[in-house]
Amino acid sequence: MSDLEAKVGGSTEELVIEASEALRTRKASRIERIGDHLRNEWQLYVMLIPTVVWLLVFLYKPMYGLQIAFKDYSIFRGVAASPWVGLEHFQTLFGNDQFLRALKNTVIISFYGLIFGFPMPILLALMFNEILAQTFKKTAQTIVYLPHFVSSVIIAGIVITAFSPSAGIVNTVMGWFGIDPIYFLTKPEWFRPIFVGTGIWQEAGFQSIVYLAAIAGVSPTLYESAVVDGASRWQMMWKITLPSIMPTIIIMLIIRIGNMLEVSFEMIILLYQPATYSTADVVNTFIYRQGIQGGQYDLAAAAGLFNAVVAFVLVMTANTISKRYSRTSLW
Amino acid sequence: MRKFTFALALMGSTAITAPAFAESHLPIVEEPLELTIHMHWARAQGYGPGGDTSKIYPVEEVAREKTNIHLIDQTSGRNSTDQSEAMNLLLATGNLPDIVGGAKVQQPVNEYGPQGAFVPLNDLVEEHAPNIKAWFDEHPDIWNAIAAFDGNVYYIPYLPDGKYARAWFVRQDWLDALGLEQPDNVDELYDVLVAFRDQDPNGNGEKDEIPFFVRDWEEVLRLLTLWDARSTGADVYHQFYLKDGEVAHPYAQEAYRDGLANIAKWYEEGLIDAEVFTRGSSARDYLLGENLGGMTHDWFASTSGYNIALADKVEGFNFIPFLPPKSVSGVRIEENRRIPMKPDGWAITFANEHPVETIKYFDFWFSEEGALLANFGVEGKTWDMVDGEPIYKDEVLNSGQPVNSQMYLEGAQVYRGYPQDYRYEWQWTRESAREGIELYDTEDLLVEQFLGVAFNEEEQAVYDKYYPSIVTYMLERQQAWILGSGDIKEDWDDYVETLNKMGLQEVLEVMNSAYARQYS
Repeated sequence: MSDLEAKVGGSTEELVIEASEALRTRKASRIERIGDHLRNEWQLYVMLIPTVVWLLVFLYKPMYGLQIAFKDYSIFRGVAASPWVGLEHFQTLFGNDQFLRALKNTVIISFYGLIFGFPMPILLALMFNEILAQTFKKTAQTIVYLPHFVSSVIIAGIVITAFSPSAGIVNTVMGWFGIDPIYFLTKPEWFRPIFVGTGIWQEAGFQSIVYLAAIAGVSPTLYESAVVDGASRWQMMWKITLPSIMPTIIIMLIIRIGNMLEVSFEMIILLYQPATYSTADVVNTFIYRQGIQGGQYDLAAAAGLFNAVVAFVLVMTANTISKRYSRTSLW
Repeated sequence: MRKFTFALALMGSTAITAPAFAESHLPIVEEPLELTIHMHWARAQGYGPGGDTSKIYPVEEVAREKTNIHLIDQTSGRNSTDQSEAMNLLLATGNLPDIVGGAKVQQPVNEYGPQGAFVPLNDLVEEHAPNIKAWFDEHPDIWNAIAAFDGNVYYIPYLPDGKYARAWFVRQDWLDALGLEQPDNVDELYDVLVAFRDQDPNGNGEKDEIPFFVRDWEEVLRLLTLWDARSTGADVYHQFYLKDGEVAHPYAQEAYRDGLANIAKWYEEGLIDAEVFTRGSSARDYLLGENLGGMTHDWFASTSGYNIALADKVEGFNFIPFLPPKSVSGVRIEENRRIPMKPDGWAITFANEHPVETIKYFDFWFSEEGALLANFGVEGKTWDMVDGEPIYKDEVLNSGQPVNSQMYLEGAQVYRGYPQDYRYEWQWTRESAREGIELYDTEDLLVEQFLGVAFNEEEQAVYDKYYPSIVTYMLERQQAWILGSGDIKEDWDDYVETLNKMGLQEVLEVMNSAYARQYS
């Protein structure tokens, strides 16, 4: 009440009573409104149920198993009966130079992916939006979407062939300019550009769909009035399209940052060699070699848990920053 | 857990009360007895033809008739082709069938057997399985090799027969064209490879020949044996090996330093395929088909097939096995051989209420009758006994289908625990491969295999802590040296020091203590 009094300041008593009266009815009607809302929109909530169940079954229930990160896990003894070992697995991880190297590589590769990979789908979407000829637009879209639907194994095969020193297109073209062939896939310094580039080529097209959808949602009246005011297409893009899809961009960026440590490791496994481990080995491939292939599920769980904690911190930080400076946020 | 102790008690009592037979008698039981089985391997995820468990193998029908024991499928993870995954799934559910079999059972069985998931077979074999006992009495090392760290044996393995796996192959027509002999030692080998590189043996006027190529890049490391080093001690790459009765790692030996320095030199000179690390499994098809590759180290059976396959495409094509060249010290070895026991086979779980009947059933497959059934299928259907030898019928040999694929559907050559019979494979081995195998048999080329050790929990913890990182480091350095970044002779002391810092000595210590316990 003191807030209200402060606001009304030195007004008359009647006003105060009236205002508090209004507040009370609003409170009561809020509960009523939720009830009404549920009654009227129950179909929507029914449709929500499968997702909630999915979340509970596949994301919340498995959290029970996270405890094996602190246990000496035996499949046969089960999660509950395996003995506790405290932080031993975490000590093993952080005492391992190769894990630290993998962590460093993960951050660097993700960072490259963010810097070079994140803007690409936005650029693509803006460019598609400017294409007027429908046939050309559709064809171009199909071509850039296509790599997304091709299996990683095949993509890796294409990459290996393209960068082959004897028959690869890259070395052939370099040969025209008198450059000696390079055996790219065994050179640590070339691994990250090739990997990040492959990722962009494979996914940028498909990821642009989200932005195209956002662009489609921009009110045409904005463009119409801009045309009346004599704005150029370039100005419309900068002043209307981009600001309008900014919330989508921010949300995508936050999600992307949350997935920073999730480098698509199947592609790395297909492309790396012991010779390129020094730049290519990431946390997930390290877990795969050490944990899954070696059957050390507890160690793998510890590394996975660490990944999840870092991801959580990253998402929270990005969200908070975004909320403060752009008023767009995930929650 | 209660279920488990109950079953153990039950098993104990049956083992004590059951009478001990000196010989196995058929049928094993008077009334038909049903036992459930998990059978997961590459060719079939489930106990039925091609994994179709609604059908019964012809071999199983005969086995039922003879033993009165009926195997009923209860395979977990049938939608996965990964045996370890299926096994882990099975163990995690805790609902174990009577028998667990298939590929890669050794590691889980020896890890969870001592925890009570599987029944130790030592006493059961001793008392009820005369055929299995007789086989292992002749091969005590293999009995030691399959044991878990507690000294018990928990599974009966699939025991492959035959000696050779991979061999050295050379384009004999290229040698003839250049007027060269097959290389007999490492220096001659070098000269031949140089000639292949420089003298245009394929005669197309271009210097496009690739003197030495391989499908798996690790096969390049077989060249190490030419400088008296080793690349591995078992049938998987980069393994420990036996050096003067002790377990050692091949990549920490001085001979390895010299051998790898030479491989690096050969790589730099273009004698080894420049793209060896990324060429992959199609290397052999591509390089032979395009008339580019001169020499390789690969499987007898599949590599000898190219003479027929490429007869029309490459004129005069003749790719034949030759004896391993002598090393710098004059020793001739073929490092790669078939392993005498596999991690595949079958085991009895704690849930099995008939362990005695089950071991007698396992023993049936080691009897003469059972082994023939397991190797060749049903007599009269796929083979006949001719002068005391099992001979496949013509329609099996000439059906156009590989004989092994036919056998898998019959229920023969399935990954039970059984002794394989090389006569099965010999009958459908190509003439050129047979000649090669006979050539390799003229000398004693094979080296002792390291069959692995079973760690106890402390040893396992030491191994798990250090070894994965060590082997990663070894391979990183190895490839770097071959590719010419760094010089192994200069880097050697640092390399050895780093290995020791990473715990190699600790790993060797647990290896050797486990080895001494298991094989002494």
